[in-house]
Amino acid sequence: MMELEVRDVHLHFGGIRALNGVSFSVRGPELIGLIGPNGAGKTTLTNVISGVYKPSQGAVYLNGERISGLPPYQIARRGVGRTFQVTRAFRRMTVLENMLVPAMALHPAGRRQEFVDRAHEILRFLTMDHLALEYARSLSGGQQKLLELGRLLMLDPDLIILDEPFAGVHPKLRETIWEFITTVHQQGKAFIIISHDMETIFTLSQRLLVLNFGQLIADGPPEQVKDDPAVIEAYLGKEE
Amino acid sequence: MKRVDWRWVLTGGALVLALSAPLLLSGYPYWLHVAIVAYFYAILASSWSLLAGYAGQFSFAHMAFMAIGAYGSGLMGKYWGTTPLTGIVLSTLLAGLVGLVIGVLCLRLKGAYLALFTIAFSEVLRLTLNAELDITGGPNGLDLAPLLNTTSRVPYYYLMLALLLASLGFMYWLAGSRFGLFFRSIREDEEAAAAMGVHIVRYKVAAFVITAMIAGLAGGVEAHYIGLITPNILILGQMSIVIAMAVIGGIESLIGAAIGAILIQFSLELLRELGNWRLVAFGLLLMLTLRFARNGLIYPLIERLVLYQARRAVIEGREQKAKQVGEGA
Repeated sequence: MMELEVRDVHLHFGGIRALNGVSFSVRGPELIGLIGPNGAGKTTLTNVISGVYKPSQGAVYLNGERISGLPPYQIARRGVGRTFQVTRAFRRMTVLENMLVPAMALHPAGRRQEFVDRAHEILRFLTMDHLALEYARSLSGGQQKLLELGRLLMLDPDLIILDEPFAGVHPKLRETIWEFITTVHQQGKAFIIISHDMETIFTLSQRLLVLNFGQLIADGPPEQVKDDPAVIEAYLGKEE
Repeated sequence: MKRVDWRWVLTGGALVLALSAPLLLSGYPYWLHVAIVAYFYAILASSWSLLAGYAGQFSFAHMAFMAIGAYGSGLMGKYWGTTPLTGIVLSTLLAGLVGLVIGVLCLRLKGAYLALFTIAFSEVLRLTLNAELDITGGPNGLDLAPLLNTTSRVPYYYLMLALLLASLGFMYWLAGSRFGLFFRSIREDEEAAAAMGVHIVRYKVAAFVITAMIAGLAGGVEAHYIGLITPNILILGQMSIVIAMAVIGGIESLIGAAIGAILIQFSLELLRELGNWRLVAFGLLLMLTLRFARNGLIYPLIERLVLYQARRAVIEGREQKAKQVGEGA
């Protein structure tokens, strides 16, 4: 069972405290929503988990192994996959080539044809198999988001971090992304999902983490977090 | 009726033309020399295309690696008495080693910073070669022994052609392997590639090492063919010509860059009467290509004739398969 532990993580950019003593853990296939006002440190926290930033203090452990300080590619190979707030498909590569990158990085000795077959299978699941030979740049924004999710499945991580997966997406594609999350979660993967779409994230998540000014101010089931005074204050401000 | 496969028609035609060129140009040794130099530039332009077009490392140090191959072999012959062949092999390895160092130093550099760093490296090398009169011959250049024991240009022609075909074959194999896939993913988005498990450092450095070795090898062979190498080969204008050849041919296409180099080298010779105006025209062509044809002038033609056909064949094959499955159900 996958176990992620974020232990007292601090991150400073000069005088700015982006993260201030964040601690939480993910055990097994949990479906976690990560919310907070703009600038709360959500994306920064995912960057720390995925190895883009090294914490100034504290550490991140995956299955008991300290992963903070490892380069991002090693963390990805250990089972942490992520998408980005702004879609980052490899635009001048075909959809199929996009899909092959993580598989071939993870299994250098693997057979290409097996990866191609697997890629088509995933693309069918994402209803975009007919686009396999198209360049990623020719896809719509929503389709590029789907492609990012497809790449994640090729990486086959135990923990999937999605940064704003529903932002700017057509309602039809939104349904596909929702189905992707629930299906893959049922297959035993853990999720941390950042979203500003409160209705969606409260419905989808089993557990919510709330960040404000780099601090974790709430951690619990959505129905409990919703009524938490600290969360209400973070979003609506303090009553004078 | 069976459709003509333009891939094989064009490749076969080009090969026949290239192999029979010494016969066709038997009364014109100068043009055979132009062809040898054109192939040399084709190796440089296509290997630079692998580095810049595939791996996204816009380096200006490619001629410097070529010069390391040329000067390295010449100096080893002068001071250690190595044969040209041994010198070329050792200087190719030396170019790869320097490529490794430059690759590591450039890891965190992108765009303008990478370009400036590599220009600086190239200039430092040129000035050093110029200044060290006793060792390198300075501006007068360094004499090199001939690689082949012949006064005919024909063996050199076939040697350079073989080198071009071998390097193109190797680079195409590389581009089609996971190396090529990772090079392109790094070019597109380093951070996203790393998040997909790609070892960025390894593949960025590998791109420098491999292309530096190809440039060094071409430099060594060319220098032994000409018999003289001067630091002038390192001036920024020379590097710009290689870049222009690749850009006009198609920066993301190895064969496009190679064809671009050959056509431009021949055009420059044909227009020699125009003096510096030919370079002005050449510069204008580069500007127009950058502005209106980002994929170059040659590559779109290849894509239209060849790749489009290949892609259609794959799509038609899949549709056929789906139809058969549908009929069977």
